[in-house]
Parts: sequence; structure tokens; C-alpha cells
Amino acid sequence: MSAVYHLTLRQLTGRWRLLVLTALSAMPVAIAALMLSLDRAPSVREFEGGVIGAMFAGAIIPLVVLALAGVSFANEIEDRTLANLVLSPVPRWQIAIPKLLAALTVAGPFVAVSAAVTAHIAYVGDPVATTALTIGMLVAVALYASLFTWLGLVTTQAIGIGLLYVVIWEGLFSGFVAGVRLLSLRHYALAVVNGLDPRRFPSLALPPFPVVVALCVVAVVVFTWLTVRRLRRMDVP
Amino acid sequence: MSDPRAAVIRVEGVSRWYGSVVAVSDVSFDVQPGITGLLGPNGAGKTTLLRMMTGLAEVSSGRVTMFGEPVRDNPALYRRIGVMSEHETVYGFMTGRQFVTLMGELRRVPDLEQAVDRAIALVDLVDAQHRRMDTYSRGMRQRMRLAATVVHSPEVLILDEPLNGADPRQRVHFKRLLQHLAGTGCTIVLSSHILEEVEELADTVLLIVNGKLAASGGFRAIRAALDQRPYHVRIVADAPRALAAAIVGLPSVEAVQVDPDGALVVLSRQVQALQVELPRLAQREGIRLRRVEPLDDSLESVFGYLVGG
Repeated sequence: MSAVYHLTLRQLTGRWRLLVLTALSAMPVAIAALMLSLDRAPSVREFEGGVIGAMFAGAIIPLVVLALAGVSFANEIEDRTLANLVLSPVPRWQIAIPKLLAALTVAGPFVAVSAAVTAHIAYVGDPVATTALTIGMLVAVALYASLFTWLGLVTTQAIGIGLLYVVIWEGLFSGFVAGVRLLSLRHYALAVVNGLDPRRFPSLALPPFPVVVALCVVAVVVFTWLTVRRLRRMDVP
Repeated sequence: MSDPRAAVIRVEGVSRWYGSVVAVSDVSFDVQPGITGLLGPNGAGKTTLLRMMTGLAEVSSGRVTMFGEPVRDNPALYRRIGVMSEHETVYGFMTGRQFVTLMGELRRVPDLEQAVDRAIALVDLVDAQHRRMDTYSRGMRQRMRLAATVVHSPEVLILDEPLNGADPRQRVHFKRLLQHLAGTGCTIVLSSHILEEVEELADTVLLIVNGKLAASGGFRAIRAALDQRPYHVRIVADAPRALAAAIVGLPSVEAVQVDPDGALVVLSRQVQALQVELPRLAQREGIRLRRVEPLDDSLESVFGYLVGG
């Protein structure tokens, strides 16, 4: 497993990709700092809804994760190097899980630092809110990573389809159609934040914390299982 | 006790289609230890067949087994198999040694460092092993890929167009290497669209045309069939009608036709004899030959003839 993990880490840590991830992760911090410096700063609720809920959890994190998990298999397929891995005597889950873990390893620190600093600024150093937001956003990373890793194996258009998913499903539908929230990874992550600190996102109609934890686990397990299944059944180029 | 002549690879009634396109149609054969050449023109279905033999692609119907086990979705079998695809599937950011080491790690090779040393020495790339693979020539990449393919000392080697991109010196080295591996008891299947390449290496030839197994067996039998086929030769000369009248009397010529543009098209089953007789005839008759070219010397026409029977 470690061979695939280390290989994927090398593939995902190109200079340009890291620069883009740094820029994306810095955006919520910059916006938080900018808003606080304004004479008429938005309320905490406005900031939560607009910057953390919509932009950070609904756009920046999925984009960061898409740039990593979405290409971890897709690049191997495009470069036709996937056969190197598949033609080895290891069970397919030992290829899929290291790929997922490598995406988490790279995306996790960017998102964690960004979430912690943003929360520290926005919640004026409140440790409970900062911890809740950091953990919730890391949960978002795990959810999106499992989805996009599978997507990268299913289609060569993973980035395009992933972007459409982020904009249409997570951005539009889950924001306006209440029932869709039960199938929205963004709302799972926000519900985790709310479960850890009930003062955060109180106005969102989110499922109870234990249900959300179960939904998160189910989502990661199902997408990982689909990835392994796909790897076993697909024709490898 | 197992049968020593039992097939290492058994392909039984294998077909593969993509929608309405049939890439491989009802192909059956056994592969024994030694070198087997999979020969066929480009697009004949060789790569599809090899991909099904290695488990990379699903068969639409039929069965592929290796050592009596199904190949598809059987990762444990890859301890015994080495596969080199036609694509240059390397990680350019790695050095050659790192690539071979990675392949060894994935294949759980014991004494990895020694195995890597041995594999790289085998392909004669010790001096270049610490260079990044994106700085290698195509031939060097092919050889380093071969090192990665054999690092776990597989019992079966499946190589898709392994000599692509190799210069003449590298070809000689590559051929010696494959012969050495076959001598150690390895079962090697290699594909090629070049007759001579397979002729020099393979003990057995599988001829694939239009997705079907057109012929199989020893190379001599197939070569003999090729030599007996009729050839069309186009001749451009100063006096085509005079040459046509004279050439029809040659024993190597079966028929002559004069094209509207004045060129002669000669049908011959003894093309080597024709090569000797034609210049002599032209000299004797005082006719100047401007152009002599085979019209159907491509592999496709050769295979087409064999398939047509």
C-alpha cells in the first residue's frame, strides 16, 4: 500500500498544483480579514452563511479536493500508467485506499489551516468554534475526496463533471431545495460543525448529529467501495 | 503429476466486441513455454487479445486461463506474470531505478535491491539508472520498462510490440535478452506487425487478421505459405507492349496486363525468379526499365491472402 501512497503523493505535489491550492486556501482567510477590517462588518450569521457555508464548504474545499482526488486516478488513466498498478498482485482496495489517503494527506493540511485561521479571525479566537469548523471542514475533505476519487475512475471528464456537481448540486440545488440537503456533502459537513458547536449554523435545517456522523461514514464507505468495484471491473487502458 | 506439455496460457473461444465492432472473434489457442509471436497487421486485434490475456480487458465471450486459473480479477496471478504494454507507461519524474524499484515493491519482491540491480543489469542500463526517465530515449525507456517487467522474475512475459522505437543495436540486444529469458524457461508472448522480427525470435507464430486467428504453428510453415502466394508487380518501361510480349514467356510469370497508363502489371508466384529474369530480359530486348514495384507486398495483403486461403 505504501508504494501506491507515496507514488500518488509525488504525483499530486507538483509545484503549480501546490501554488493553486495555496491560493484557494488563502481566500477565506483573506476575505475574513478584509471583512473584519470594514467599518460595517457583516454579522457572524452573515459571514457563516456567505463565506463559510457557501464559499468555503461549497466551493473552495470541493475545488481543492477535486484538483487532487479528481486526478489521482484520472491522470493515471490519461497517461496509461494505471496498468502498472493494476498488473500487480495486490487486492484492488490496496490501490484505491492509498490513492484516497494521498489526496486526503495533501488536501487536509491546506483546508485545516485555512479553516482554523478563518475561524480564529471570524469567531475572534473562540476555541470551540474554531475546533468545530476545522473538524467539520476536514470531514468535508474526506467526503469530497471519496466522491471525486471514484469520479476520476469512472470518467475522463472528472474535472468538468466535478465542477458541474459543485455548482449545480452543492451550490444551487442544496441551497434552495430542502430535500436535497440530505444528499449534499456540503450540508453533512456543516451539520458536523453544528453538532460540535450548536451556535454555528443554527438556522440551517440539518439532521441530528449522530445521523449526520452515520451519513458521513456511509458516504465515504460507499464511494470507496464503488471505487474498488470499478477498479476490479473496468477495462484498464 | 502435472502434464509437462500442459498449456501455460489457454485462450478458448475468446471474442471481444465494442458495440457493433468486433475486435477479436472466436479465437482459441494454447501457449507453451518458449517464445510465441503474435503477428498481424496494425488494427488486427493483437493488442485487444493481449489485453484480454493479461486480464486488463474483459472478454465479451470465451475464457482465458493462465496456469489453469482465470486471468481476469485475479491479482495473485500477477506474481507470476510480467506485462509490458505498447504504451510507454512510465512515470517521467522518476529515475529508471526508482521506477524498477516501485514495480518490485508492488510485486512484493523479496531482496528488492538485489532484484532491481539484477533487472537493470540485464537490460544494460546500469549507467543510466539514476537519470530521470523523461530524459531517456525511446529505446532506453523500453529497456527500462522491460527491467521493471522482469524484476519479479515472472514465469510468463507478455510483451506488446516490445521492439517499437528501438534502434538496430537495441533491437539486437533486446532479441538476445528475450532469447536468454526464454532459455531460462520463461514463457514469452510478444506481438509485432513485422514478419522478420517474429521470424528471428518466435518458435511458434499466431497469425491474427481482422480479429481472427488466421494461422498458427511453426514459422517455416507460415513462411512457406507466404512464399507461394501470387504477387502483383508493376513495371514501367520504355516499350511496354514489346516488354509485355516478351515477359509473358518467362516461366516465373503467370499473367500480364497492360494498364491504360502504359504500365505493366505482372502476376507471379515465383517473385524471386522474376527478380533475376526481368533485368536480363530487358537487357536482351533493349528495353529500358524505369520502375519495378510490388503492388501487394504489404503485410495486410499477405495476411489477406492467407485468410482468403
